[in-house]
Amino acid sequence: MTPEIQAAIDMTTSINLEVYYYWCTAIMILIHAGFLMYEMGASRVKHTLAAGTKNILAFAFMIPTFWMFGWWIYLSMTNGFTPDFAAGASGVPWSENMGPNLQDNATGVFWGAFTLFACTTASIMSGAVIERIRMAAFIVLAVVLGSVVWNLSAAWGWHPDGWMVKKWGYHDFGASGVVHMISGFFALGVLINLGPRIGKFNDDGTSNVIRGHSVPMTIVGLMLIVVGFFGFLGACVLYGGTAQWVNIYGGPTTLSAICFNTLMGVAGGIIGGYTKTRDPFWMMSGALCGIISVASGLDLYYPGVTFVVAFIGGYLGPVFAGIIEKFKIDDAVGAVAVHGMCGVIGVLAAGVFLSGYPTHAEGIPPISLYGQFMGMLVMAALGFVPGYVLSLIFRMMGILRASDGVQLAGMDVEVPIPAYPESMQTNNKFV
Amino acid sequence: MLGASPIETWEGAGAIFTFAAGGASLWFWLSVALCIVPLVVSLIAESAAESEHG
Repeated sequence: MTPEIQAAIDMTTSINLEVYYYWCTAIMILIHAGFLMYEMGASRVKHTLAAGTKNILAFAFMIPTFWMFGWWIYLSMTNGFTPDFAAGASGVPWSENMGPNLQDNATGVFWGAFTLFACTTASIMSGAVIERIRMAAFIVLAVVLGSVVWNLSAAWGWHPDGWMVKKWGYHDFGASGVVHMISGFFALGVLINLGPRIGKFNDDGTSNVIRGHSVPMTIVGLMLIVVGFFGFLGACVLYGGTAQWVNIYGGPTTLSAICFNTLMGVAGGIIGGYTKTRDPFWMMSGALCGIISVASGLDLYYPGVTFVVAFIGGYLGPVFAGIIEKFKIDDAVGAVAVHGMCGVIGVLAAGVFLSGYPTHAEGIPPISLYGQFMGMLVMAALGFVPGYVLSLIFRMMGILRASDGVQLAGMDVEVPIPAYPESMQTNNKFV
Repeated sequence: MLGASPIETWEGAGAIFTFAAGGASLWFWLSVALCIVPLVVSLIAESAAESEHG
């Protein structure tokens, strides 16, 4: 083979890689569009645009902060909390790789895909806290979740050199733990300090249903998230050029595997949600529950296994939401149940069904239930502790929760335009 | 702002972004500052709303 032909093959490979991740990233933005609709629909009219503004800002703040320090954290923190400065050198924002570079077709598109993962984590927390969190505190919490905590979890458990991978053979192909558990448990920590919406719980311990103003908008938003998941899960696969596709750990897989199991996961979750509730909101949330419950092993499951586990996830999602509510935690969109608890199912299911599968390199233990269980504990703690501690500090500073007066008037009093021509403010705590 | 190009020819060029040859840190810190300003804007808006409705 002549050097010219080899150079042409190499360039074609580089450009194929770029094209693939570029469009994965674009499709992942649909996740954010979906969360935006979902949150606004789940809000009452007087809170609609505040919820939307909050979600849009989470998206916007994640991008520069991920460029400033998020990518560096992912590259350098694979050993735990001690940075490897050599490994992270290409991720500092003044590196030649962190901007237009004709010798580097890869960094920008990988950075973009990881940034959109960060946006997803922030969006997950965003829905849980609608109608009472203050904007500045939310922005800081979102940045910490998306550009610090998620990067740590990914460096530890979603990187071929991550310590959890090397120590336990931790396997989390589609990020049940590193994205969904992290976000769900972070949101749980915040919700404990934030407190419920006014009128959610009664003095006798019972709870009230606070309905959003547009269930159809919420349902369509959830369907958009499902579309975006194809970009999300597609970006979990690495393009191998002239060789087979590999997962994030370097183990071989195919896009066909992901297609089989993503679709089966969506279907299982929807049907599970329908079987439990017959409620279209929980059917589409069930789709998320289904995908998240199988995401860790999407690259390896038999589609029948995927369907059954996803059905269980979709069925249990509303059950988890009910249990969380019993603890007087007001999760407005079920984020803790859908992402946190179904993420637990996802991580552990991989331990049950994938035990014994070899990992990507010599010396790394095979996938095991023990490794997945330990990984689940780490993810729960890594998500919960920063969310709880930071929100506790904000609560003590008095900047976490809007006053009752603002909540009753509607959080949209801080937004300069109304959501709808007929928008009105009301002090009714249920409207 | 003038003279921001790090290259004089495309032949063999690598990093081609403005200020790649030096001076990028100013823009980095400006970016940091522009992420902090909206937090202040947000706090001011929240305080106004709290004063009126809180």
